[in-house]
Amino acid sequence: MAIHRNCEGLRRRDCLSLGLGALLGGGFVSALQSRAGAGEPGADKRPTGCILVWLDGGPSHIEMFDPKPQAPAEIRGEFQPIETKVPGVFFSENMQRLAAINDKFTIVRSVCHNQNNHGAGNHYMMTGAPTRIPVSCGAFVSFHPSMGSVVSAERGAPHNLPPYFAIPSITRSGGPNFLGNRHAPFVVADDPNSKGFRVRDVTLPTELDDGRAISRRLARKKLDQLQRYQDRATGDPVVGSDENFQQAVSLMTSDVALKAFEIDRESDAVRERYGRNALGQRLLLARRLVEAGVPFVTINDGGWDHHSNIFPAFKKQGATLESTVATLIEDLDERGMLDTTLVLVMGEFGRTPQISTLPGSTTPGRDHWSSAMSVLVAGCGTPRGQVVGATDTRGYAAIEKIYAPENLVSSVYLKLGINPDKIVYNSSGRPSHLVSDSRPIQELM
Amino acid sequence: MHSRPIGLLLLSLACTVLAGPLFAAEPAASSPGVTPSVTFELDVQPLLTRYGCNSGPCHGKSRGQNGFALSLLGFDSEFDYLALVGEGRGRRQFNATAEGSLLLRKATGEVPHGGGKRIEVGSPHYELLQEWMRQGSPRTPETAPKLVRVVCEPATQVLTPNASFQLRVFAEYSDGSRRNVTDVTAFQSSDRAYAAPSNETAGLVQAGPIPGEAALMARYMNNIAVCRVLIPQPGDLTDADYDQLPRRNPVDDLVWQKLKLLKLLPSAETSEAAFLRRAYLRIIGRQPTPEETRAYLADASTGKRDALVDRLLERPEYADYWANKWADLLRPNPYRAGMKAVWNLDAWLRQAFRKNQPYDQFVRELVTAQGSSWRHGQAVVFRDRPDTVEIASSVSQLFLGVRLECAKCHHHPFEVWSQDDFFGFAAFFTRIGHKGEGLSPPISGGQEMIFSTPAGQLAHGRTGAIVDPKPLAADSLKIPAEQDPREVLAGWMTSPDNPYFAKVMASRMWAELMGTGLVEPVDDLRATNPASNEPLLDYLAQDFRENGYNIKHLIRRIMTSQVAALSSKPTERNLSDTRNFSRYYRQRLRAEVLLDAVNDCLDTEEEFPAMPAGSRATQVWTFRSASLFLDTFGRPDANQDPPCERTSDSTTPQILHLMNSPSLNRKLALDTARPAQLAASALSNEQVVEEAYLWVYCRPPTADEKQAALELLPAPPDRRKGVEDLFWVLLNTPEFLFVD
Repeated sequence: MAIHRNCEGLRRRDCLSLGLGALLGGGFVSALQSRAGAGEPGADKRPTGCILVWLDGGPSHIEMFDPKPQAPAEIRGEFQPIETKVPGVFFSENMQRLAAINDKFTIVRSVCHNQNNHGAGNHYMMTGAPTRIPVSCGAFVSFHPSMGSVVSAERGAPHNLPPYFAIPSITRSGGPNFLGNRHAPFVVADDPNSKGFRVRDVTLPTELDDGRAISRRLARKKLDQLQRYQDRATGDPVVGSDENFQQAVSLMTSDVALKAFEIDRESDAVRERYGRNALGQRLLLARRLVEAGVPFVTINDGGWDHHSNIFPAFKKQGATLESTVATLIEDLDERGMLDTTLVLVMGEFGRTPQISTLPGSTTPGRDHWSSAMSVLVAGCGTPRGQVVGATDTRGYAAIEKIYAPENLVSSVYLKLGINPDKIVYNSSGRPSHLVSDSRPIQELM
Repeated sequence: MHSRPIGLLLLSLACTVLAGPLFAAEPAASSPGVTPSVTFELDVQPLLTRYGCNSGPCHGKSRGQNGFALSLLGFDSEFDYLALVGEGRGRRQFNATAEGSLLLRKATGEVPHGGGKRIEVGSPHYELLQEWMRQGSPRTPETAPKLVRVVCEPATQVLTPNASFQLRVFAEYSDGSRRNVTDVTAFQSSDRAYAAPSNETAGLVQAGPIPGEAALMARYMNNIAVCRVLIPQPGDLTDADYDQLPRRNPVDDLVWQKLKLLKLLPSAETSEAAFLRRAYLRIIGRQPTPEETRAYLADASTGKRDALVDRLLERPEYADYWANKWADLLRPNPYRAGMKAVWNLDAWLRQAFRKNQPYDQFVRELVTAQGSSWRHGQAVVFRDRPDTVEIASSVSQLFLGVRLECAKCHHHPFEVWSQDDFFGFAAFFTRIGHKGEGLSPPISGGQEMIFSTPAGQLAHGRTGAIVDPKPLAADSLKIPAEQDPREVLAGWMTSPDNPYFAKVMASRMWAELMGTGLVEPVDDLRATNPASNEPLLDYLAQDFRENGYNIKHLIRRIMTSQVAALSSKPTERNLSDTRNFSRYYRQRLRAEVLLDAVNDCLDTEEEFPAMPAGSRATQVWTFRSASLFLDTFGRPDANQDPPCERTSDSTTPQILHLMNSPSLNRKLALDTARPAQLAASALSNEQVVEEAYLWVYCRPPTADEKQAALELLPAPPDRRKGVEDLFWVLLNTPEFLFVD
């Protein structure tokens, strides 16, 4: 574990946290042990990774994985259910390709919570903790570290790769909170489908050739004459920044890392298969990153808040999504990576069974509904071809094997080798569990 | 590692001798007066705290653990007694066969226990619990003497490295009796590297190998006492070593006094150029220009350092720099409060610093704000935090340095604050009226009026009783309906007798100027988190108060001290000192300052959304004005809670961004940027190197540096790429990234 004695404040805080551990927690030794454990992937097999496909806005469960053919038309909607590869399981007709491979993944139909707006729903699903105070729809809030930041802190990544990527943007509550800026996601905003795509900052800007970059670095070595106070006891933050510089250079010169970013190394066939669109290439980039050892990648896909126009949207947007996700799962499986790669597809909640046309809108849609939603979980030891839980005949509420976001997030942590019951300390030293209810969704484990 | 000097040995011997007989006479656990039997509050509850049973991660959390819930750290005896004796179908304690009770079987690990084995069968504490149940699990009678306070003896201990000492903790009761409770006290060290308990039950404390200091917190029930442990650096120093140190103002003497205690000596004075850059960056958040640097270095007058500080305090950048810092603390989330409201608050903040509004008036205006969220910026704080509990927590933290929030749900774990204190304080904010368009995220575009109303009350979170406003550590008040309770609160906060108000601002400003706080976090002042130099913090607070809460005066006081002009370079006599200001502590430039500095060096401009052309980063009024640079370097996102967390650690993505970001490289290569200007100028290569050093490092290059830099530059007119490379190099080194 790298000990950064960067700024005095941080260091004292760290100590304070440890001290509090001794008093409030299971004792100093256990606090120390859990810290020392950070960054070790655990077993000696291929390290696990996670690709979270976040459908921002809250995708409709009825139009995806939980159709309600018996319900009246104002609930059932325009689409028919279709048979899937697993006998007796039906998806909505929009999920054609996923229906053909659902022997590879699990759908959980019974995750639910009580946070019915985007701000709070995002926070709950993204961090496994409800917001501490009520927040509203527009809120982008963070009261607890997101899954990606926790994985960054607990696992790290090889080749000095950033351990947590957010593509193309950070999700509302996807930040590190008290884990600090080091565990914020590395955002790749540019479109990997565009020509000449490069991952920003880790590769040289296009105008700069390798030779000039190298000579700049050599000159830097010569001219960098600020005195370092090497003795650790001095707590010189410049020494810490030198370590960052070394990491940056080794990342820039690491073949494995750089290759991960070069999406054009993929054959045209593979790129076509994922779809020559931003979402397709972003998922492909995510797969490459996980392949290189990045433990957590979030794809933030917007536009799932279908208060109106829901049926045409699912025909188009739904089709693109499901075919891309199906490709990802197949591709991972073919590469033997599905056993170590967790794929999650979810949003902040499901949508109202009752179709509505809001004032000012001309087309029907569905509104926010956190009492029911469907979550797709694949890989990393998740049983294949399974449906967990159920909602009632009209899709209003989870009625079987009801699980909370805490259980889902705990499952994710366990699959990634992280103890969800671990005690963490916020910046004022207050202890809390990583997830307040550390029981996983048993059926996923 | 260090030889043990005779003097110190004698000193610590003397302490031991003094301490020994005094306490030896005390019986180990004499009961305080009336009740001879083992009772709940007096004997049993302390054990639940001592063994961590009622701690936050265990049964103390709000829903308990496996169905057994205790109040956090035992603040609610009633609740705990019921939990132990009344609930669990009576299995938790048996009066007939105590050994069969779940309390003992779980605690000794006889039956599976999530918390593991906590006590040994047959140990004194085991027998105490057994005896309690045998006697019928009695509660401590109401009439029994009450616990008044807990004291540590000694309260201060001077130690040599690796030495240990005996700490005793006494509980004092209302009848004047006291008892030794060391064996049922839980200890916590503020810094285990310096001193930590080696045997908790015996109260033995062991010093680490490095000189320094630590505060040991002793907790007995809800009461806390602190013992300060000092481990001076070995070696002989005389008074003369300290008498000869320069004293430019009272700050210096107070710092030297502390150094003397720890036998530390300050580093040398820093160079003139380094002080100049430090003063610019710390006071106005920008670097001096080459012209300013040359003029300062050429100035031979004796008072030039003080004159520089005075000059900087009058610069227009001052207001933007400090308002930008305060915006970290106050700026609401525009998604929540609305863009116009956020802009309005930002404008109010900038105006306050532009006119150097006295701090007490600044806070009074905020705390008692009324008016329109579109017109009166300060009122936006109440629009953003309409919840009584929320606004009370932030006011107490920001302006009093008291973290009351814990006490909303339970007694504060490291402080005297109870739920009564929390709700009493929150009750000041119950008579606030809201009219107009309230929060309607994600736009919240409407206008809202904040005003004082006669009605409004607050119910206590636990008891449900209506609570009267109550200042901290004072009695409840009856405030007439026609008076705004916030006026009363502001009066109490800003009164000269208020022990917290000036202190927390002094603490904040010291940390901003010196790179490290006297206390960390700067707004968490409490006995259990003592400042590294309490007399200094007290002096600064008093000086601030006596000078009309003039913020510029406070800055001047700190920045004109000798301490603020010390070099960061450690000496043998202060190598491991990271909190007593024996030298200056380096710190990375904050995001906005760094970005402005890059643009100043390159003579380029940043384009910020929603800002006029030519705006500086310190003028940006919302994080929604997108900037990858600012976000990478840790500009806080107003979505975060708490919003003020800004860390100055450096990260790999930051280094990568400076090296490779397309936008920075584009700026370097602009035809209008400084590298191109210099390359095209009539200046010789030597002069170009000098200019580059003055712009980026704010000092002329040394001869060696000049030589090395010249190698980058071909002869004009083909030198442009070379000049760009030189600027790239300098901007990518720590000498630019850090204030030194």
